[in-house]
Parts: sequence; structure tokens; C-alpha cells
Amino acid sequence: MNAALARGLGGGVLLLVLWEAVVRLAAIPPWILPPPSGIVATTWSARGPLLDAGAMTLFEAVTGYGIGAVLGLVLAMLLALATPVRKLVLPMVVVVNSVPVAAYAPLALLWFGTGALSKVVMVAFIVGFTVFLNALDGLLRVDPAAVALLRSFGAGPLGVLWRLRLPTALPAIMVGMRVSTVRSMIVAIVTEMLGSQKGLGWTIFEAVLQIDFLRVWAAILVASLISLGCFAAVSALERRVVFWR
Amino acid sequence: MTDAADQLDQLLTVGEAPAARAKLQLNGVSRRFGAVQALAKVDLGIAEGEFVTLIGPSGCGKSTLFNIVAGLLEADTGGEVLLDGAATSLLGKVAFMPQRDLLLPWRNVLDNAILAAEVEGRPKRAARETARAMAADFGLKGFEDHYPQQLSGGMRQRVALMRTFMFDRDLMLLDEPFGALDALTRAMMQRWLLDIWSRYRRTILFITHDIDEAIFLGDRVVVMSARPGSIKLERRVELPRPRDPALLTTPAFNAIKRELLDAVEEESMKTFAAGAA
Ligand SMILES: Nc1ncnc2c1ncn2[C@@H]1O[C@H](COP(=O)(O)OP(=O)(O)OP(=O)(O)O)[C@@H](O)[C@H]1O
Ligand SMILES: [Mg+2]
Repeated sequence: MNAALARGLGGGVLLLVLWEAVVRLAAIPPWILPPPSGIVATTWSARGPLLDAGAMTLFEAVTGYGIGAVLGLVLAMLLALATPVRKLVLPMVVVVNSVPVAAYAPLALLWFGTGALSKVVMVAFIVGFTVFLNALDGLLRVDPAAVALLRSFGAGPLGVLWRLRLPTALPAIMVGMRVSTVRSMIVAIVTEMLGSQKGLGWTIFEAVLQIDFLRVWAAILVASLISLGCFAAVSALERRVVFWR
Repeated sequence: MTDAADQLDQLLTVGEAPAARAKLQLNGVSRRFGAVQALAKVDLGIAEGEFVTLIGPSGCGKSTLFNIVAGLLEADTGGEVLLDGAATSLLGKVAFMPQRDLLLPWRNVLDNAILAAEVEGRPKRAARETARAMAADFGLKGFEDHYPQQLSGGMRQRVALMRTFMFDRDLMLLDEPFGALDALTRAMMQRWLLDIWSRYRRTILFITHDIDEAIFLGDRVVVMSARPGSIKLERRVELPRPRDPALLTTPAFNAIKRELLDAVEEESMKTFAAGAA
């Protein structure tokens, strides 16, 4: 794990050095690709507003993530228990989920306004679907022989869900939650770009209009760092929860 | 007999085994899966405290029979399954050990062993204490906190057996518990099981593919026919207990073995000819 981390860091540093060198040697104009040193300097000098924007986006992403993950998990558990309802509902879920989320963003803005609520709803929506589909798959992918064993002990459907299905599904649930972290940041930013007065998405949108490309890159840098942090936190949680893998 | 076994005997078993009455009685039990007739009119009685071994060709319906006795599968109409003389719902009444150990990887040895106790709603703490005291008898002392992935095949089977014993029911169904073990481990586990059985007195129905094992363990060996499975032959094993590995080379043992081999081979050939083996 540590070796992998070291290799990842080494790769990252190498990439930055190459990037800096190429930009300087080829004299690429900054509006096409600014050098990393320029991005870092801009980020530092604009750290106040960038941190405010980052905090806003992080709040939307985390709130939506929490709501979506809980709803997705609860819905998956309910549908794992109710087979007939599941067969009715699942095809609809798949259809709704097959449309790219960005397509729903204008509707969210229309219904929930340009404040934080529309972003929270959008994030909850995408995270909810991801966790729901992963969790349901995990809950249903149990060994029928293990179900039979628990039933032979006198366990009912709830007992089987709690003692067998849920632990069996944990790895799949955690994968869904890990994938969701990055998606939740993306969706929050995209929805902000489409309509808001705050957040990193709005910062990027505004900077593009002002042809301030260094600030665009600075906002991207902050977004990446936040994403990375969330991803690392959920990955650490995953390793603790799914300790037997 | 260890102190732990003495204590647990009071904790776990329901009194002394009384005079032989039928613990389990199967009358004309059949089961069909679509076009496949798995079982055809199985008649079998097992006395209280008896150790019966069941042997038969692959696919003859042994596991199906177990699933029916455990209440997991319905028998086709016409047959009856009587537990203690009554045709009741069987789920939760029979201690069933499936063909694979099915240990849960997120539970350590103790917590796997108390799974049934937990399902029954017994307090975890008390169940863990019982399991901890039993661990030595099951050769798991010092491994109580290990996870299944960290155990050898023989140990995993002992955990599964302990889980079955902790589900405190008079009748135990063991589906090929030693099938996947190497010969040495297997011989050791057989002697160990007999020892455990003599202490935690239960009625056992035990599936195996191994004739030596069937004779060595059983009070009675039951041979099933090729599919559709029914009882082809029953042979009482009058060999004295406690049984010793030296028994396997005695003339008395071999006489029983020859008799059973003929029956088993005949049925296996039928299965082979049918292309199902
Ligand atoms: N749920 C099921 N649905 C359809 N067919 C089944 C089912 N369970 C068992 N069978 C069939 O019934 C027959 C008996 O199966 P069973 O598992 O009871 O055999 P077995 O004697 O335990 O075999 P083995 O010695 O290989 O464990 C087989 O032909 C099997 O394919
Ligand atoms: Mg079987």
C-alpha cells in the first residue's frame, strides 16, 4: 500500500515537472495551458475566495452524499426483502439512471432554485442511484446455501438480511460509496456552473467569462484536492469496514 | 471426559437418551424437480441417540433428503416426515450442517459458532462464554479470535461442527462434513467426532461417500439407490465402541465392507451408465 502510494506520488511529481518543462520550452500561451507553478501561485493569492467557494461545494457534495447514500441503502434493503415490488420497480430505476445526470440539472434548478438545495438534490440523486444499484446487487448476490443454513436455524427474512445479506453486500456497498465520492463533486460543480452564485462551479464559470484562465485552473486544483481528500477518507473507511477482504 | 464437557452436557443436552424410540421417521418421502425424480418413496427410521450413516452414488438425492428433513424443502404430497412422532414444521428444529462449511468471513471463530444461538435470540455474551468453554473440545483453543480465512480445512470443519452442536437440537444432519479433507486429517476427525458424540449425546444422520467412514462411525449404514433415490439396504454395525482405527483391518469390519461394497458398486454403476456421475 505504501509502495503504491510512493509510486503514485512519484508519478504525480514527474508529470508536474514534465508539464512545467513542456509549457516553458514550447512557450505555450497561458490561456491554452498555464504552467503548474502559475496555477499554484494564483491559487495561493486567491485562497480566500477559493476556500469559500470550495467550502460551499464541499457542503453541497457532502450533504447530498449523506442523504443519497442513506436513501439508496434503505431502498435497496426494502427492495431486497420485497421481491414482487423489486421486479416492478427495478426496470424503471434502470431507465431513469441511464440518462446522463447533467440532463436533469436544469430541472433541478427550475424546481429547487439556484441556491444550495438544487445541488444537494442533484448530488443525492446520483449518489442514491449508485449506492442503490451496488447495494441491491450485493444484497441479492448471497449464497443460497448460506440463506438455507440461516433458515434452518429458524431465521426469518429480516434475520437473513441483517446477519447475512448486509455483511455480504458490504464490499459492493463500499465500492458504490467510493465511486460516488468523485461523482458527487462533479455533479455539484456541474450544477453550480448551470446556475448559482456560489461554489467552485460558479467560480469556474465566472472566470471563463472574464477570460481569467489561471483562476479556472486554480478552481480545478482546489476541486481536485477536495475530491482526493473525500476519496481517501471513504477508501480508509472501506478498508476498516471490509476488513476480511 | 473433561470438566467442560460435563458442564456443557447440562447446558446443552436435553436429558439422558431414553430407550430407543424413533427420533425421526420417514414414510414414503418423494421429491421431484421438474422432470427429475430425485427421491422415490424413502422409508427410514432413526432411533434416539443413534448414529446412522448414509451412503449412495453422487446425485442420488442425499442432500435433497437432508433439505427435506431440515424443513428447507417440501416433500411431494403422499409422504410424511415425523420428528418425535409428529408431523410438524421442521425449520429451526434440526441441527443441519450443509455440504460446505459456509463460515461467514466477517465473523471470528467464536462468532461463527454462536450464529444459531444469535438467531434464536440468546444473549451474545452468554453464547460466547459457552462457545469459549467448548473451543477446547473442538480443538480450537487459542483460535477463538481467528477468522475463517486464517484456518486450515480441518479447523474450518470443526468450527462448522461446533456451530451445529451449539444449535442445541437432538437431531443432527451432517452432509459430508469430511468430504474435502485429506485422508490423515479425515481419520483424525472421525475419531474426534466419535469422541465428541459420546460426550454431547445426539442423534446423528451422516452423509458420506466413503464406505470405511460409514462403517467406522455408524451404528447403522444405510445405502441409497441410484436416482431416483430410495433406501436400497440397511446394515447394522455391531462393532464395539469406543472404536479404534485398528478396527479397519479386522475381519468383522471387512465382512461388513464387502457386503456394502457390492450394493454401493451396483448403484454407482447404474449412475455411471445413466451418464450422471
Ligand atoms: N433445487 C433443485 N432444482 C432442481 N434439481 C435439483 C435441485 N436440487 C437437487 N436437484 C437434483 O436432484 C438430484 C439429487 O441432488 P442431490 O444434491 O440431493 O444429490 P446428492 O446425493 O446430494 O449428490 P452429491 O453426492 O453429489 O452431493 C440431482 O439430479 C440434482 O440435479
Ligand atoms: Mg449432496
